[in-house]
Amino acid sequence: MLANEEPFRTIIEPFRIHSVEPLRMTTRAERADALAAAGYNLFGLRAVDVLIDLLSDSGTGAMSAEQWAGIQRGNEAYAGAPSFYRFRDAVTNLFPFRHVLPTHQGRAAEKILFSVAAGPGRVIPNNTHFDTTRANIEFTGAQAIDLPVPEGLAPAIRHPFKGNMDVAALERLLAEQSDRVPLVMLTVTNNSGGGQPVSLANMRAIRAVCDKFGKALFLDACRFAENAWFIKTREAGYATVPVPDIVREMAALADGMTMSAKKDPLANIGGWLALNDDSLADQCRNVEILTEGFPTYGGLAGRDLEAIAQGLAEAVGEDYLRYRTRSVAYLGEALESAGVPVVVPFGGHAVFIDARALLSHLDPLHYPGQALACALYQEGGVRGCEIGTVMFGLHPDGSETPAALDLVRLAIPRRTYTQSHIDYVIEVVVRVAKKAGDIPGLRIVSQPRQLRHFTAQFVPLR
Amino acid sequence: MTTNLPVTTGRQFGRRSWAEPWKIKMVEPLRITTTAERERALADAGYNTFLLRSEDVYIDLLTDSGTNAMSDRQWAGLMLGDEAYAGSRSFYEFERTIRDVYGYQHVLPTHQGRGAEHLISRVAIRPGQFVPGNMYFTTTRAHQELAGGIFEDVVIDAAHDPQDEHPFKGNVDITKLERLIAREGAGNIAYVSLAGTVNMAGGQPVSMACVRDLRALCDRYRIRLFLDATRMVENAFFIQERESGYADKTIAAILKEFCSYTDGAWMSAKKDSLANIGGWLALNDQELFEAARNLVVVFEGLHTYGGLAGRDMQAIAIGITESVQEDHIRARIGQVRYLADLLAAADVPLVKPIGGHAVFLDARRFYPHLSQEVFPAQTLAAELYLDSGVRGMERGVVSAGRDPATGENRHPRLELTRLAIPRRVYTQAHMDMVAEAVQAVHDQRHSAKGLAMTYEPHYLRFFQARFDRL
Repeated sequence: MLANEEPFRTIIEPFRIHSVEPLRMTTRAERADALAAAGYNLFGLRAVDVLIDLLSDSGTGAMSAEQWAGIQRGNEAYAGAPSFYRFRDAVTNLFPFRHVLPTHQGRAAEKILFSVAAGPGRVIPNNTHFDTTRANIEFTGAQAIDLPVPEGLAPAIRHPFKGNMDVAALERLLAEQSDRVPLVMLTVTNNSGGGQPVSLANMRAIRAVCDKFGKALFLDACRFAENAWFIKTREAGYATVPVPDIVREMAALADGMTMSAKKDPLANIGGWLALNDDSLADQCRNVEILTEGFPTYGGLAGRDLEAIAQGLAEAVGEDYLRYRTRSVAYLGEALESAGVPVVVPFGGHAVFIDARALLSHLDPLHYPGQALACALYQEGGVRGCEIGTVMFGLHPDGSETPAALDLVRLAIPRRTYTQSHIDYVIEVVVRVAKKAGDIPGLRIVSQPRQLRHFTAQFVPLR
Repeated sequence: MTTNLPVTTGRQFGRRSWAEPWKIKMVEPLRITTTAERERALADAGYNTFLLRSEDVYIDLLTDSGTNAMSDRQWAGLMLGDEAYAGSRSFYEFERTIRDVYGYQHVLPTHQGRGAEHLISRVAIRPGQFVPGNMYFTTTRAHQELAGGIFEDVVIDAAHDPQDEHPFKGNVDITKLERLIAREGAGNIAYVSLAGTVNMAGGQPVSMACVRDLRALCDRYRIRLFLDATRMVENAFFIQERESGYADKTIAAILKEFCSYTDGAWMSAKKDSLANIGGWLALNDQELFEAARNLVVVFEGLHTYGGLAGRDMQAIAIGITESVQEDHIRARIGQVRYLADLLAAADVPLVKPIGGHAVFLDARRFYPHLSQEVFPAQTLAAELYLDSGVRGMERGVVSAGRDPATGENRHPRLELTRLAIPRRVYTQAHMDMVAEAVQAVHDQRHSAKGLAMTYEPHYLRFFQARFDRL
């Protein structure tokens, strides 16, 4: 669509469907049994028992015909495959870092970076760490600190860049304990805070503070394209700048990045670590070989390197990004107008329901987010994900406190569901919201020490 | 269990042909290079075949890992893959197949074999404990050492002699193992790490009698026995062929019996299972499994995908089923032997007997005038590429690395260049061409001068080391 044309209101996908996957309908009784069998943890459900799967937008997107062609073309040589060079060139076209290390997925890039750069006594700030980032930092004995702007913690306040980092807080942290901070992370978009974007102005301010204290800045860039789109549509001066140029401007402010190719690059698997520092890259490559794979495949099949390279080119397409963010907002607006408390403005990849506000009768330590997610599945087979006290409430010392927010994330897989699927989701959420006061809280009966949200078992409080 | 073995037409009539039980469905073009191009590519790669671009390689025998050709069924499986983040249908098919074929209780997918090695080493080794094994493997030992374990080689002595024709050169020397237990105490043994087949010894198998003895010994001392099952299907073929009482048993039955003597296994699905990516860790012990499951999510991915796309779990499940078919494994090993026979007929020094996945050139005898200080096997791999664009891999002093305690080079008795054969990828004519290339390099052997290492990485140096010609 040309910029000077009057836009239509209808969301139109800039693609048609090439291949489909059947869905299975379940009965209410079947869902009740499945939920109990999964210990009221939606990660424990079998996918065949889920009708609309909004658990994650990670690796769940539909690839294009061109990406599938890349799957066919993939070269599986162990060392030096042409698929690697195509992947590397596609990455450096947008993120011109000197070294690109493929990994099997994003958390492996984090693992490599933090096993080299973190460690006991160290502190790593971020706007908001995501669950696996936090886990990989804490696993090394370091401390993960969140420094979001205050607006980021207020679900009902509208602010165009709620993902921003609190630059003054970063400066204070560095002034007090600079020697403990090996690097600064910045997550774009800010997933745990509602998929909210970070502005280029904020990135520039963070860069200046990093320069002042001589710190490297690493992007957790999983949703870089969605972030760039929000910059284009919300930040002064960027309306006519092409998205790839905005991405390169973001990259130019950083010294490196960790990446999950399962998000914006439209792939089902993969990730990478990219950085400029030669000696850090050498150390990272040594770890990569040990835990991931040889540096020209990094634990990925050659075909997936091809799919990522192609996906990156599609991810920065403006028609695609317009469709992507519009279709997320479509769900959000419908819920908001029905009176469901949601995080506003709507983020790039998901709609976040404020479960603490909707289930105000529940104590946060009775996990309102988890309770609401279970109710949505029970009602209509819709699987969302708790982002709250279950995910972030348990601390390395074993203590438990409520998380800043208790949200249910309805993450929209890319290019997978149609508008009628989303209309169905809206109906389910609105129906559940009407009887929110009857939803019981939950109690944990078993949990691991780390990343408990994946395997913890619950029972409802009656 | 005795069953009627399905056999190839050739075998029914007692013929020797190992003809493949498939035809070609999809091809990938190869590029032929000139000598000048190869000279330049090899110099750019620091005389390390790992650092060559695969476009500059004609016949790629660097590894049989992940380089397999999948079947049309497996490709169909890629389309059927369920990419749900949690509880994917493809995971349950993957899990069921591994339970059926390998017989273990609990299964965790990992992105590849070293992901599983990382997990088992973290959950089963306490710092300072010994990990006895039937010869080291590069990534396995690296993970054991990273977890604080001390590897101890308990393979039979014959394994270190490339000319010893022992039928099961991968066997553990039970006396060596008992001596270690007596010396250190059973409590200081993390587990016995058993690999079938033994890659570094030349793809040499372990006998059923050996694993049975190991089970009894481990029961006596309450030590766990874990299997590196990466090429266990090839190992099962050698048991069927060589061990008394197994000629009439199916590969599937032999595999399952072997695994039944162990407490768990880790696997690279990129070898036997005919996949391009993937691996798994399987354990019978519930508690150990839960410990590993809590870690898999930190390093690999949620326990129902473990860092694999759903489609790859689907392709692995189908590949496992194909891998235990009699005709498949006979053709697989038949092709390896075909190449070895051509080389043996030309008096090229090889590791005997011929293993399951590769032909190993004995670089010590190939270049008797070169000492290990100038890396004869690395030199041979470089010369072979230069001659014809054939890429092999060093498995000698470079791969052995340095002793973590002393920092000195380890000097393995075996100084080998491995020509690993990807499964279902190359034709008989390709093998003829490889044999000619090796013969040509053999004819020129007296002029080889060796290499000097100019860059040495910290871990697993063979992958990225750089060399210069002397």
